[in-house]
Amino acid sequence: MSVARVFRASAALEFAQLKTSRAFVALTALAAVSFLVMVSLFGLTGAYAPVALIDLDGGPHAKRLVDALLGAHHSFALKYMSAEEAEVRLHSGRLVGILTIPAGFSANVDNGVTVPLDIRIDNVNVDMTNDVQRALPAAIVAFGRGGGFPGIRTRMVEHDVMPKDTGYIPYLVVSALALDALVIAGILGAMATAREFEYGTVKLLRLSPASQAAVLAGKLVVAGTVAAGALGIALACIVFVYGVVPIAPVTTVCTLLACVAIFTCIGAWVGALLKRTLAAVPLLFGLAMPLYVDSGALEPTRFDGETIWIIAHASPVYYAVGALEWAFHGLRVTPEPIYVDLLVLVAIAIASAVFTLGRLSKGGSR
Amino acid sequence: MAVVRAIWGMARNDLAVWLRSPAAMAAALFPALGMGVLVAVLTNSVGQQPVALVVQGQGRMATRMAKTILADVDAYLLTQMTAAEAEDALGDQRVAGIIVIPEDFDRRLSTETASVDLYLNNIDIDLADDIRRSVTRSVAEFDAPQLGLLGELHGPSKGALLPNPYRVAVAEHDLRDTNVSFLQYQVIPIIVLIVISIGLLGTALLTARDFERGTAKMIVLSPVGRIPLVLGRLLGGTLITVALVTPLVVLGFTTHYIPYCAEESSAPLWVNIVLSGPCGWMLPVPTWTHALALIGLLLAVTLMTVGLGTLLGVALRDARLVTMTGLNGAVYLFFLGGGFTTVAFLPDWIQIVSRFVPTRYAIDGLRQALFYPDLINFERDILVLCSCAIVSVVLAAVMLTRAWKRA
Repeated sequence: MSVARVFRASAALEFAQLKTSRAFVALTALAAVSFLVMVSLFGLTGAYAPVALIDLDGGPHAKRLVDALLGAHHSFALKYMSAEEAEVRLHSGRLVGILTIPAGFSANVDNGVTVPLDIRIDNVNVDMTNDVQRALPAAIVAFGRGGGFPGIRTRMVEHDVMPKDTGYIPYLVVSALALDALVIAGILGAMATAREFEYGTVKLLRLSPASQAAVLAGKLVVAGTVAAGALGIALACIVFVYGVVPIAPVTTVCTLLACVAIFTCIGAWVGALLKRTLAAVPLLFGLAMPLYVDSGALEPTRFDGETIWIIAHASPVYYAVGALEWAFHGLRVTPEPIYVDLLVLVAIAIASAVFTLGRLSKGGSR
Repeated sequence: MAVVRAIWGMARNDLAVWLRSPAAMAAALFPALGMGVLVAVLTNSVGQQPVALVVQGQGRMATRMAKTILADVDAYLLTQMTAAEAEDALGDQRVAGIIVIPEDFDRRLSTETASVDLYLNNIDIDLADDIRRSVTRSVAEFDAPQLGLLGELHGPSKGALLPNPYRVAVAEHDLRDTNVSFLQYQVIPIIVLIVISIGLLGTALLTARDFERGTAKMIVLSPVGRIPLVLGRLLGGTLITVALVTPLVVLGFTTHYIPYCAEESSAPLWVNIVLSGPCGWMLPVPTWTHALALIGLLLAVTLMTVGLGTLLGVALRDARLVTMTGLNGAVYLFFLGGGFTTVAFLPDWIQIVSRFVPTRYAIDGLRQALFYPDLINFERDILVLCSCAIVSVVLAAVMLTRAWKRA
């Protein structure tokens, strides 16, 4: 039997089996979109701390201070409310703090008097507290410089490496594509091989004179194609809903296809190793999150320290995020060149395919 | 008595089946534990960024400026370097920015035109803003020492106000004595996620399994009647959840006693990283009223998820579908309920949506019980959760009885 015919037959069989699991495939695609939504929610909490503003002054300097607070590096979402309401909200965790501009603020500032700005912080979470503690002086500096007050002798002059900042959510959703590829392609790949063990057909595969590589390739090409379709939905979401357009569309598509191929192979290997879809799916879900975070998904991994960066090299998501962030935003999030990231991705795909073939052969003899 | 024995028999059987199904246990625990690891890794990512400091100025004031920046250990992971080393480090991503105190710093200070240069890898806005805020604060401290962290905490708020050229100072009043770490704060949603995963997935898989293997038919033929068996299924799901969640929560309180968890731990870095997950829990020991609130909330969530799991199992009757649906559902319940997010930060429409997500009340309530001195909104949280639990359990009992009848 020719390799091409085996490949075609295997692909047709896999496709027929996936057609009977439409709900499962749809849920896998839903998981892809869900991850995008969820990382966006996470991204929203990185800035704009909800702070109640009680302005007892209302003068021109108070207004300038409010402007400075609003311009303080995306730090505050100021909410105007009564002191009583603010108190209740602060105590129930719905506010990070209450900022009070005292009465007579403008007059005192005009007279050159230093006015203490009262802030009550719900310091329940050290990260939120730090952000507020750092942002307030930044706002005060902007206020002071804007007023042209004498005695301010030094200032910070910023020189950015990138021509513009990339928004946190646009940054996160691109890296979430790599996570999506891992979850979708991994699960479909795992299902393709685990099913052979669950149904006992792996023994037939082993006894068949047909090439196992051709059979596996047929199955994985179909699984990969379906995964690519689901990933296409996520990509369309990013482009049309989030408005994040890749600066290098060809590289984006090639990287995503490479990710699909790799993660399908890895998933197939995991499926052959665990021999049960029910075990492989949660494992891939469970691994996805830590691999995602330790991959430059939130910021370049090396900023988290050398140890974490070295560990990240063991994860294919690290290289995938590196290639995707470059393709979408032109950002370099790995110290390694992009072509190295891509080469490593290809090498991992080949290694996974070889391991999967090995597992299928061993599994059949038992 | 026979009814009680039947309920207990069914529950014990479910418990035994579950314990013999490592795949089901993995399905329930892996994603939640993955989230736990994620939080531990995130803890390393938030707060401090690696920054290089290049001091080119040799004057007294340049040295003072450098000391001010170096003293702000909460804001940066600073390394003093030469300009060439810093440039290499920025290129290799060993640092996210370079702070340069220029050669003419002292000279320009007299004309009020001195500057500190920040070369910033502004790769994303979150990271860049963190560094901008920190460097601005350090530079501001030079002319206004009270704008530093110590000044914010112990200056005007304690009645010691020094005049400064910006004409504004900060009087910070913290709501509580101790700060809760990022990891501790996020552990609460992780606990809720574990409860959801085990309660929902565990019960759903057991229910689906009965239909897949045809054991539902045997249950129908049982002489004890369906109601005790339905109650047994719900009790079994609850016991499984309680049995797995209780040790984890207890561990959260006992991590205070892990020797390497101390901040000044001299253990190797990899030991600290491995232990960062469990060490980060360090749940504060609550008062007895708060402890009761904690137990009440956890039980209510458990019952609610067990009911939902049973409904899911009855509806789908397929272990693979149950797993995927359960995992998707758990992710939404987790994030919309405030997992890794603070609902107050989210847009208004999401805040409105989250009002209909019961896990929000569980997370809010648990955080209130563990980290806040009072139990504001506890009545609301427990009422919502108990109502959801009652509705889901009653619905589950009805649907399961009907499904078994038709099996």
